[in-house]
Amino acid sequence: MNRPEISVHGLTKSYRVPERGAGLKATLGSLVQRTYRQVEAVQDVTFSIEAGEIVGFLGPNGAGKTTTLKLLAGLLHPTSGCASVAGFVPWRREPAFLRRISMVLGNKSQMLWAIPPLDTFRVLGEIYGVPPAQLRTTLDELITLLDLTALVTKPVRTLSLGERMKCELVCALLYRPSVLFLDEPTLGLDVTMQARLRVFIADYNRRASATILLTSHTLADIMALCSRVLFIHDGRLRYDGDLRTLARRLAPFKFIDLMLYGDDPATGDDAVLPPGASVVASSHGHLRVRAERAAAPAIAAHLLQTLPVEDLTVEDPPIETIVDQLYRGGPR
Amino acid sequence: MNLRAGWALIGTTWTMRLQTRGLFFIEALSWMVAPLAFLFVWVTAAGSGTVGGFSRGEFVAYYLLLIVIAQVTNVQHEWTVGDAIASGDLNRLLLRPMAPVLDVLAQDVAAVTVTLLFAFPVGAVLALLLRPELHPTPSDVILFFPALTLAWALRFCWSYALASLAFWTSRAGGLFSLHAALLFLLAGQVAPVALLPKPLRAVAILLPFRYMLGFPVEVLSGHLDATGIARGLAWQLGWLIVCLALARLLWRLGVRRYTAWGG
Repeated sequence: MNRPEISVHGLTKSYRVPERGAGLKATLGSLVQRTYRQVEAVQDVTFSIEAGEIVGFLGPNGAGKTTTLKLLAGLLHPTSGCASVAGFVPWRREPAFLRRISMVLGNKSQMLWAIPPLDTFRVLGEIYGVPPAQLRTTLDELITLLDLTALVTKPVRTLSLGERMKCELVCALLYRPSVLFLDEPTLGLDVTMQARLRVFIADYNRRASATILLTSHTLADIMALCSRVLFIHDGRLRYDGDLRTLARRLAPFKFIDLMLYGDDPATGDDAVLPPGASVVASSHGHLRVRAERAAAPAIAAHLLQTLPVEDLTVEDPPIETIVDQLYRGGPR
Repeated sequence: MNLRAGWALIGTTWTMRLQTRGLFFIEALSWMVAPLAFLFVWVTAAGSGTVGGFSRGEFVAYYLLLIVIAQVTNVQHEWTVGDAIASGDLNRLLLRPMAPVLDVLAQDVAAVTVTLLFAFPVGAVLALLLRPELHPTPSDVILFFPALTLAWALRFCWSYALASLAFWTSRAGGLFSLHAALLFLLAGQVAPVALLPKPLRAVAILLPFRYMLGFPVEVLSGHLDATGIARGLAWQLGWLIVCLALARLLWRLGVRRYTAWGG
């Protein structure tokens, strides 16, 4: 039996943070006696990821996503629980472990500001002990794939945000890690660049059979890359599975959009609708009906028979709406 | 760490230093200003006689050596490594399959070589102009090298231990300023330690600061007898062991705390 590449059991991380009120009195008070508050950043999280999977980490700000990634990359020591990544206990930070993993933090840089990226790449190659010939091949490949040829000899400080992010990816991949933690890799990038990075990440996953865990507030990233999502809220794992299944569970309805012949305002009347359907919007020959998921085909058929339909589409509610619902309340 | 990685890191630091060469030389010059000022004070005080056994030419020799050695042993980890800890940049180093201290070491080695490119010519020109008098015995010259190496190692460890304080507090700046002041006062910068008032001299001999800077200068300028040199080397070694242990302990505890609290 294959061992999962990442396995996490009962992982918990709590912090004690100093707390004081605003104002001079509270400041003076805190000098004498500090009060602390316990923050449960990650609570009893359990999951496992097979080698070669790409898994998306969903959750509102402060839910514990980055903390979990930092635990798995060995930057944090857990309060309790255990984890294994590529066969290692991450927080021991053994060199053999560090050579197999990579972490990209969208808001932190590996690059040295004053010198061209190529110099940073070479130093990292030596630090990770990549044989020179292999480093050359890998760098050529990454530089071509990410279209960086013209940039790698310019000082980093002259590069744009997107260009720097591409360089960060080169830093993260030049020693061909088998496990990748990507924290907001598309932060601050334009739509085109985001799309290119997604293609690139999917490609790396395929060719290197790399296991990838990524967080993103850009849902398109998650939808394009991850067949599986972990949803974390208030430090707890609330959902582990397919994003579309989650959507169906959260939004047990579909929208039926109708374009009607003529411009009859009476067509928007609820009276013509069967049970399980209701009109959510109607204007000038356009009608949007909310239909129970199970009854949607029957409702659509009914509408086709009873109304002068020019065009009909059935669609799921936008994923953003579902995720918003999720972030506000969590799945039931 | 493999040697190639070490060279690569040193090379990178060179490149970066050369990118900002203008500022760098100004910085190097600023470190020379204080010893130069004291050189002129003591040269004037000595006139054509001596002060505390130092003649004019001996003061010149002492301070010119001090300028060069101060640059060689100059480390500022309490600021650079301390900043990395406080800002969370340490994460970058912790994720690498290499001890962070090696990165710091490579940067220091690179910095020293660049600094010397500046300090040696300036020292040589000043030597031509001010005519130093230097009478080291062959054994002084030989013993100078271990004294210098130990001074550098001691300062490295001491500075690293100070830097580790950033794991606990972001307000250690006051302590660092105190360190700089003590280094200035007790390491032989204001005056050679032999010329300090008696109580202050006793303190200077006890504390580690003299052994980070003034002591190798005293050895090479021929102001110490064999016993003085032996005692000094013993103090250096003792303080080095203490500071090395302290730096290791604070760093380990600090990293444990850092990974417990989050960067």
